[in-house]
Amino acid sequence: MAGPLARRYRRLLFCYPRTHRRDELLATLLDAAPPGRTRPTAREAANLIRHGLRARLGRPASRTVGAWAILATIISGIFAAAFATRAAWETAEPLPRAAQTRAMLAEILPGQEFIGIEDAPAAFTIYGAPLSWATVDDLLLGDGGEYALAEVGGVVRGVPTRSPQEALDLARQRLLATGWTVYRPVVHDMYGCVGPPCDPATLPTSTTLLARRGNTTLAIEADSADSMNSVVDTTYLSASFQRTTPPAVYPFAIIGGLAGAVVAFLLFSWASRRTTGRHPARWVVTTLFHVTMVFWWAPTLVAVPSSVWHHLDEPHPSWRPMWEWLGQPVFSLFFVVGGGCALLGVALAALPRPRTETVPTTAPS
Amino acid sequence: MIRGVKPMREPTFLILTALAGASRHGYGIVQEVEALSEGRVSLLTGTLYTALDRLTAEGLVEHDHDEEVDGRVRHYYRLTAPGLTALTAETARLRQLTGAAEARLRALRPGLV
Repeated sequence: MAGPLARRYRRLLFCYPRTHRRDELLATLLDAAPPGRTRPTAREAANLIRHGLRARLGRPASRTVGAWAILATIISGIFAAAFATRAAWETAEPLPRAAQTRAMLAEILPGQEFIGIEDAPAAFTIYGAPLSWATVDDLLLGDGGEYALAEVGGVVRGVPTRSPQEALDLARQRLLATGWTVYRPVVHDMYGCVGPPCDPATLPTSTTLLARRGNTTLAIEADSADSMNSVVDTTYLSASFQRTTPPAVYPFAIIGGLAGAVVAFLLFSWASRRTTGRHPARWVVTTLFHVTMVFWWAPTLVAVPSSVWHHLDEPHPSWRPMWEWLGQPVFSLFFVVGGGCALLGVALAALPRPRTETVPTTAPS
Repeated sequence: MIRGVKPMREPTFLILTALAGASRHGYGIVQEVEALSEGRVSLLTGTLYTALDRLTAEGLVEHDHDEEVDGRVRHYYRLTAPGLTALTAETARLRQLTGAAEARLRALRPGLV
C-alpha cells in the first residue's frame, strides 16, 4: 500500500490512537478511492480528523465523552494561555525608577509635591511586595485580588492649593501637550448613601483621569472639592504609572493555549481509554475529573462576564492581565484544588489493570 | 404501538441492514449501504468505523473473519443475535410510523398513496 494517496491517508490516520486498526482503515479508504485520485478530499480529511480524535477518547458507546473532552481541552487551553501570558509579562520594560517618576510627575502636575514615591520591586506585587512563599497563603486564602500589576507613583498631601478639578484640567492639558492619549474621566462616589436623609449630589467623589503614552499608562486620582474645605493635612491627589501589556503576551497566549489544549486532550483521552472497563480506580478517576471541571469552570464562568462588564464600563488604556479575566488569582484555591484532583486522577489512571484484561481497543490490525 | 425501542440513526440502521444475512468488510458495507439507500447515503470511512466501534461495544456487531486480497487484510463483520433483535425492532418501529403516515396521506389524497 504505497503511493502518494496511501502516504497522505497514513498521515491523516495519525489522528487515530496508535493501537487503533489504522491498516484496516487505510485498506477501506484505498478501496473506496476512485481511480486516479492522488490526495484525500477536504471532506474525507475532515471526517478522518474528527473520527480519529473521537477514537482517541475510547468508550465508543459513550455519548458524553466527547463533550467532557471538549470541556477539559478548552479550560486547560485557557489556563495554559494565562500562565504563558504571565511568563510573557516578564518581557515588559521595568517601570520608571523613583527619580524618573518624580520628574515625569513634575512635568505633568507642576507645583505639586508628591511623596511616597518608591521603586517598584517586581512586575507584579501583592501588598506592595513580590510574590513569595510567605505571601502564598494570602494569594490562596481570599486575598488573591491583591496580586496586581505593579505601579510606581506618589500622593500629594496637605491643604490643597488648587481645586481638584483645576488640578485635573491642568494635568489634562499638560498630558495632551506632551503626547499622551487622555481618556474620559471616571467619577466614583467615595462612599454610598446609608439611608435618608441622603442627597447623592452632596456625596464626596473621587475622579480618575487615565492616560497612555507608548508602553506606559498613568492614573491620576483627585478627591472632590469637599477636601478643599479641609484644614487638616490629608491626601487629596495621587498619581501612578504602570506598564501596558507587552506585545509578547499575544503570541505567548496563542502558543501556550494551543500547547495546553493539545496536552490536555491527549492526557484526557489516554486516561479515558485506560479507565474503560475493569480498571481498579475507574469511579475515583471519573469523580476527580468532574471535581476538576467544576473547580476550574465555575470561577471562570463567574469571572468572565463580570470582567467583560468592568472592561466595557470604564476606559482601560491597556488590557488587564489574562488570568484576571478568569477570576485568578482571586479563586486560586479552586484552581489549585482542581489541579490537584486532575494530577491525582492521572496518577490513579496509570495504576495497572487486572491481568486478565488488556486496555480495550478496537480490533488491532 | 412499539414501545421501548430507541430510534436508530439512519447510518446505523443501514449498516445493520447491510450486515443482515451476510458478513462484510468495511468497503463492502459502504457499497451495500449505498445500494440500499439507492445512492442517497454514502458513508465516509471515518464515520463507518466509528459506528462499527460503537456497534461492537454495544454487542450488536462482531468481528467475523479476515481475508487477504491484493496484499490488504480485510476484516469482516457480522450481525450478532442482539443486533438482529435491534434491527427487527427498529424495522417494526419504522413500519408502524410509515403505516400511520400512509394512512393519513391516503385520507388526504385518495388514490395518490
